[in-house]
This record gives sequence, C-alpha cells and structure tokens, in this order.
Amino acid sequence: MTGEKPKKIKPGRWVLLVLTTVFIYLLDKPLGGLPAIGRLLDPMAGCWANAEPVNEDFSTAIKLPGLQKASVWLDERLVPHIHTETEHDAYFMQGYIHATFRLWQMDMQARAAAGRVSEVVGEKAFRFDRKQRRKGMVFAAENSLRAMESDPATKAMMDAYTEGVNYYISQLRYRDLPLEYKLMGFKPEPWANLKIALLLKYMADDLSGKVDDLGMTFLKGILDSGQMERLFPEKIQGSTPVIPSGTVFEQPSLAPKRVPDKKTLFPSFQPDDFGEVREDGKGSNNWVLSGSKTASGAAILCNDPHLGLNLPSLWFEVQLQAPGLNVYGASLPGTPGVVIGFNDSVSWGFTNNYRDVKDYYLINPVANEKNKYWFGGNQLAFSPRIEKIGIKGKPDFLDTISYTIHGPVMYDNNYGERDGMKKMLAVCWMAYRPTNELKAVYMLNKARNYNEFVDAIMNFQCPAQNIAYADRQGDIAVWGQGQFVNKWKDQGRFVMDGTDSATLWQELIPMRENPHVLNPPQGYVASANQNVTDSTYPYHDRGGFVELRAWRINQVLSGLSKARVEDMFALQNETYSYLAANIVPGLLKYTASVQSRYLDGLRQWDYRLTAESEPATFFQVWWSFFYGEVWYPLLGGHVPNNLMPLHERTMQLFLSDVHPLKGVPVDGYYSAIVSRSYRMATDSMARSEKQGSTQWYNIKNTTVSHLAKLPAFSFDHLKVGGWGNTVNATKRDHGPSWRMVVQMGKEIEAYGVYPGGQSGNPGSRYYADFLQHWADGKYYRLLFLPNSEQQDDKQVRWKWSIN
Amino acid sequence: MRFLYSVFIVAVLSAAAAYFLPWWSVAVVCFLAAMFMKQSGGRAFLMGFCGVGLQWLTIALLSDVANDHILSSRMASLFHLPSYVLFIAVTVFIGGLVGGLAALAGALLSPKAAVRQV
Repeated sequence: MTGEKPKKIKPGRWVLLVLTTVFIYLLDKPLGGLPAIGRLLDPMAGCWANAEPVNEDFSTAIKLPGLQKASVWLDERLVPHIHTETEHDAYFMQGYIHATFRLWQMDMQARAAAGRVSEVVGEKAFRFDRKQRRKGMVFAAENSLRAMESDPATKAMMDAYTEGVNYYISQLRYRDLPLEYKLMGFKPEPWANLKIALLLKYMADDLSGKVDDLGMTFLKGILDSGQMERLFPEKIQGSTPVIPSGTVFEQPSLAPKRVPDKKTLFPSFQPDDFGEVREDGKGSNNWVLSGSKTASGAAILCNDPHLGLNLPSLWFEVQLQAPGLNVYGASLPGTPGVVIGFNDSVSWGFTNNYRDVKDYYLINPVANEKNKYWFGGNQLAFSPRIEKIGIKGKPDFLDTISYTIHGPVMYDNNYGERDGMKKMLAVCWMAYRPTNELKAVYMLNKARNYNEFVDAIMNFQCPAQNIAYADRQGDIAVWGQGQFVNKWKDQGRFVMDGTDSATLWQELIPMRENPHVLNPPQGYVASANQNVTDSTYPYHDRGGFVELRAWRINQVLSGLSKARVEDMFALQNETYSYLAANIVPGLLKYTASVQSRYLDGLRQWDYRLTAESEPATFFQVWWSFFYGEVWYPLLGGHVPNNLMPLHERTMQLFLSDVHPLKGVPVDGYYSAIVSRSYRMATDSMARSEKQGSTQWYNIKNTTVSHLAKLPAFSFDHLKVGGWGNTVNATKRDHGPSWRMVVQMGKEIEAYGVYPGGQSGNPGSRYYADFLQHWADGKYYRLLFLPNSEQQDDKQVRWKWSIN
Repeated sequence: MRFLYSVFIVAVLSAAAAYFLPWWSVAVVCFLAAMFMKQSGGRAFLMGFCGVGLQWLTIALLSDVANDHILSSRMASLFHLPSYVLFIAVTVFIGGLVGGLAALAGALLSPKAAVRQV
C-alpha cells in the first residue's frame, strides 16, 4: 500500500457527509409537534432508559451532604417510610423522594400555577398562562411566601424540602430525566420555596377560585328578589348542615354587619356583558364517627376529596418519621408534609367549604386619567404589575395588570376574550392575603390532641375547608375553617360597585369563632360540601353549597350502629342516588300510561348508579334534559357561568309542583316538561345504543388523564359507577382522588387507595397500579411503621441507607 | 466473517461512545470505522446499519424484556403504532439508518476507497 499515491477525493463525495450531518441534526431537534426522535429513541439515554425493570431492586445506599444517618423503607406498593434524626432531614428526604418519583409533575404543576406553561409548550398554553397571571396567582404566592418565610418553622421546613429536591435535580443526567422531559424537550429548573407557595395557591384556586358572582349579577337583573331567594336560597330547605343543628355557636365578638343603606351597592349588567364557561364544582366527603357508633369502640375518620383525576396522581403516599414526628398520609408532590392523614395520636381530613371568599368589583376608571380610578369619592392610582409571559419560539408577552384597593383587575378592555367582560372588573380574594397554610400542615402532622389540632388549623385561612378530626382518645370534631370576612347580607353575592367604600372587605372574623363541633350527641359529623351552619350561626356565611351527598351520608350514618371499617368502604363507594330516589317516582307518575322498556327499567330500578346499570344511564339522560327544559326557557341559554339553580332545588320545586318563577303550584306545569324531556331522552338513548353499550360507565367514560393530555399514558372508560349526586362522586374527569378510612383504636387501622400509583414514570409498573383497585372500590391496608431505626415488617421490600 | 467482525466491533464501539457521549456519537464511530476500512459503499452502509442497529436492538430488547413491554407499549400507542414490536423496529431502523449513512459517508471519503476505485 505504501507505494500507492493518494488520489484526490471527488468533491461530490462530500455531499453524503453533509446530508448525513443534516439528517442527524434534525433527529436531534424537536420538529413541529414531534420530539427529537434520535435522542428519544437512543436506547442508552432516550426513552428506553425510562423502562424501569419490573423487578427493579430499589435498595440502595446514598451519600447526601448535610444529612445525618437516615433510612427510607419502601413497601411493596412503593410507599416510602422515611426515618430521620431531625425534622430538617425528614423534609429534605421528602423533597428528594418526591423529585425521584414525581419531578416532572411537580415542575409542570408549579408552572401551571404560575402561568409558565407556554415557556415549555409554546403558544397553545398562552391563554391559560395569561389567565393565571390576570388572576394574580403569582402575586398571591409571593404574598404567602413572605408569611411562610417569616415563620421560622415553615421557613426551615421549606428550605430543607427545596434543598432535597435540588440535590436530586443537580445529579441528574439526561438519561435519568423523567420521560416527559424527553418528549417535550425541556429540562427541570431548580426548585424554589416560591414553587411550594405556588402549588398551595393552585389548590386554593382549584377549591375557592370559582364563584358565581357574575352569573348571579346577571340573574339579579332578570329575576325579582323573591324569585332569587326561591331559586337560590341562602340555606336550602331541609339542609343537614355540617355543624349539626342544635350545636351552640360561639358568642360573636363582632356585631353582624348591616346592609349599607344605599341603592348603588351592585351595578347591573346586560346579558351580552358575559360569556364565561362554567366549570363543575369540586366536591368531597369526610365524616367522623365516635366510638359510640362503631363496633370496635374506637373513633373512625373517613375522607375522600374529589378532585381532578390525573396521572401522575395528585397525591403521593408517604410516612415521615423524626423525633416527635410520625405521620402517614397523602402528600402533594412539590410541597412538604402530609396534607391528609394521621399520626400516632390523631387523624384529619378535608372537604371543601364553599363559603364565599372571592368577590368581584366593578372599577370605574377616571375619565382622561388612564392610571386612576374612583374609590370613596377619591381618585386612587392603580398600581401596575408587569407580568412577563415567556412563549417558546416567540417573543415574550408583557401584560400590565392594574392592582386596585380590592385586588387585581382581572378583566378590562385589554383582556376579555371569550372569558368574560369588557367592563373593568377587579377581584378580591382571600388567597391574595399573606396566609400560611403550610404552618397548619406542619402543626397537624405533629398534633397530639384536639387542642393541638385546633391550634394547627388556626393557620388554615384559604381555601376554606371543613376539617374533620378523630383521635385515639375518642374525640371527634369538624371545623368549618378558613379566614372569613364579617360580611353584610349578600355582600359579594353579586358583582359590587368598586367605587363605594361600603362594599370593601372589612374586619375579619376571629378564626376561633368559626363554626365547629366537638363530640356531638348524635355521635358523628359529616361534611360533603353542604351548608356548614343552620340559621342560628351569627355571621353571614353564604356560599356555593350542595346537599345531595350530605343528605345521603347523614341518612346512612344516622341509622348506623356498630360500624366497621367495611361499612365505611361501602359508604365511600355507594352509588345510591338520593336525587334519583326522589325524582324517579315523580317522573314515573306522569308517564304511568306510557309503555317502554326504558320506563320498565326505571320502574324496577334500585336508584343505584352502578357501572353496568342501563336504567342509571336513562335516568341521568332524562334528568339532564328535564333540568335543561325547566331552566333554559326561564333563564335563557346565556347565563354567565351557565349558572342554574341547584339540582336539589329543582327537585324540591318539581316535587312540590311549584312554578319556579310564580312560586305557587301550577297544575300540569311540569307535565309538559316531563313528556318533552322524555322524548328527548329516548331519542338520545336510541342514538347511543347504535354506537355501543349504554351501560352507565360506558356513557359516563370516567377517564384518568395524563397531565400532558397524552391518551397513550391515560386510562379511559373505567368501570366505575356513581356521579356527582352519589357519595361515590366519580364523574368524567373528577372523582375521589384519595379514599382514606382510619380507625383510631389502640392500634391504628388505616386504609387508603388513590387512582394512580406512586411512580410518575409511565414506563414503571408502579405508574397506575392502584387504578383498578380504586375502580373496584377496594382499599390497601396502610403500613404505619413505629417510629424506630429498625423495621422488620414483612411488607417492607427495599431500604435506602443514607450516610 | 470479516464483515461480521466489523459489525460487532461497530456495535461495541458505538455502545461505548453512546454511554459516555451524546447519542449521535454512534455516527462518528461508523464514519471513522468506514473511513479506515477498505470496502465498497454498499458493504459500509450495511456494516453501519447492522452495527448500530444491533447495538440499539440489544439494549432496547434488554430494557424491554426486563420492563415487561410497559414502556414500549405506551410509546407505541403514543406514536399510533399497533404494537410494541413495531416501536422496537422503528428504534432499530432509525439507529441503523444513522449508522449506515454515517458509514457510507465515511466510505465515500475514505482515502483507501479513493485509491481502489481509481
């Protein structure tokens, strides 16, 4: 070879090298909606690296700087049981572990809270992001963060947690990233305490952010006050309030507010001023039984918060141990502590308390003075806050949001879109206040008795919650908790005149005067988003309460004695519809002479919305047409937020034959509506039958969606019964997000299940391994380990030894 | 036999490269290997295709079997492929194509190839 003379390579031969380089370059870049294919498919570091072996050995030894010796035991369901020598180490480890199993989810949800999704997905999330900013989500989180960081306990808790998350992130290589980062083409950024505050505000928005003020304002313009009270009563007739009737409330320290003697408190709007789409309310159940009602003689606490059903799941089970701390329950990935759970002394749970803590104000800008508005006869200056929304592939969008004495101007002529208003509306919301709910979580996790429980929840200001409590000494209690304003009647029920100082939120009601009950004579307390109080409560506490589930739960619990945990499982999973049981006989009365298999089905039906039931489908369809036929003709089809009277109120009016607007029985009024809606329902059923099964679960299509809405990582048509009107309130994309039953005996017996799995990795067998169990209404016995350095429980499968 | 050796060597070297370097380093391996070998363009392409394909197939299969096809089935469904087998096939094909093209480019620019063809 040495003798050969190298010849020149023809230039054309370089072409392929160039083409190949371009080809590889393209495979390394996300194109259009597609991820970077080459990088994604690379078996070494791409998606294949997320294929977790099904028999993965999770045991490991880890060196973590700044920590003392610690252990994490993982049980067979991948629940970590963290044992540490200091609280700092416990929260550090919780952060580290949340990041290990749920990093992408924490990251995305914090981004969603802050309106920063467009930064990673581009323009399609812009509308969402902008709404978050207009709502003042970041403003709210920053305010709370100040309160959280000025309290040494929560500051230390957050710092440790954030440190743990960031340590985990700092050692990640590309191959270790959660699959979704590889698909979406971005990387985790460092965690921060602000993100913890953002996630808590995200919950506050989910639970207290939707109010009917706009719809109510519209309806006030077309209905008289008698009709308003008939259709939207402050306390619905027959309500079984959370705090049982007969409970004596604390003496009010504040005088009840009088309605200001003015005609201009509420502006009026025209129908075409609106257009917001209503979102369905979130519900939840919790109840506590005292030992007098249970077979074991120990108190039982049950809770099932109904929230969005997603994967990775909202909740992550964890046990935390440190000196003076041994708590188990559901934690929110991205935040420290256990939100719903129990420790070795007490247990607690949450349901939403719909008492109104968010109001709208019509702002009157000063003519020719762009930066000022009228308030109390004076001109006040708006304080501007600039929100910079980053959009992938586009320049940043700057939105200047004007803050008023009430709160941020959500709607103005720059921002109305499909959402709402061309008028200038400001929002006043308890979530903007510098509240520290994390302090409540911190103290609840360590509470040893009722008094410490009460001290803890005095920090729980927003969102308002009905907090249930049961302990091993046998005490049970519920508090209708939150920070509330001493309002005058109807203050904030409608959009208020923001120029009038009489409409301003004034003094706060001392939280210890919040409605509560300890060990009531009836032996149980139940909350399911119904009215919190009866009419003897001294303050105004109007809100968006619902009653159907509460009626049923009270019906069952009042008749129960010697209750066992299995009875609690059955009740949490019950699909008996109180609405159907009352409505169906009424509907059938009008159709007694009609022959049809649908009606035959209903005539024999047990009013249970079981998964396979076809009569259940027919009832739901018929009722939905009936409801529409009652209200649309009277209220028009364009009520903002699609606000209509409650189903339970509709039921009452129908059963008593009362004309909704006239307020007196009108003979035959409902007969025409029944037959019209019946025809519509049978047509609709016939159409559905052509497309497949009309079993209830198939029509309802309960779906647990991946957070990025990827059907491949989601599960649909789950075989679950129930609906919003049954205790098992599993709807299409909302439902019991965590079912927990805890018997607080000598030994704590706890059960739980949630629709998902501990791992957020779609390539893991632990991604959705609880889902079927949840759909079947089954529970896991929760492994509550003693606070000790050694564990020999056979359910413990793996161990992490730290330092 | 020599061809099989070269495929095997490309597979091992590209695995080592991809372990330490970005995924596209497999292309550099194929390119360089082909440049220093005396073979036709077609054979070079085949060597690169089979070498990287073999490496990607091996690792993907090992991951997939240990994983009970959980990930590959979900990825297949994400890309609207009827089965996880196809997702593996797509993976191998893309890897093979990258390796094959790089090797072909290497062969075309190989001084030895230039000599032989003159």
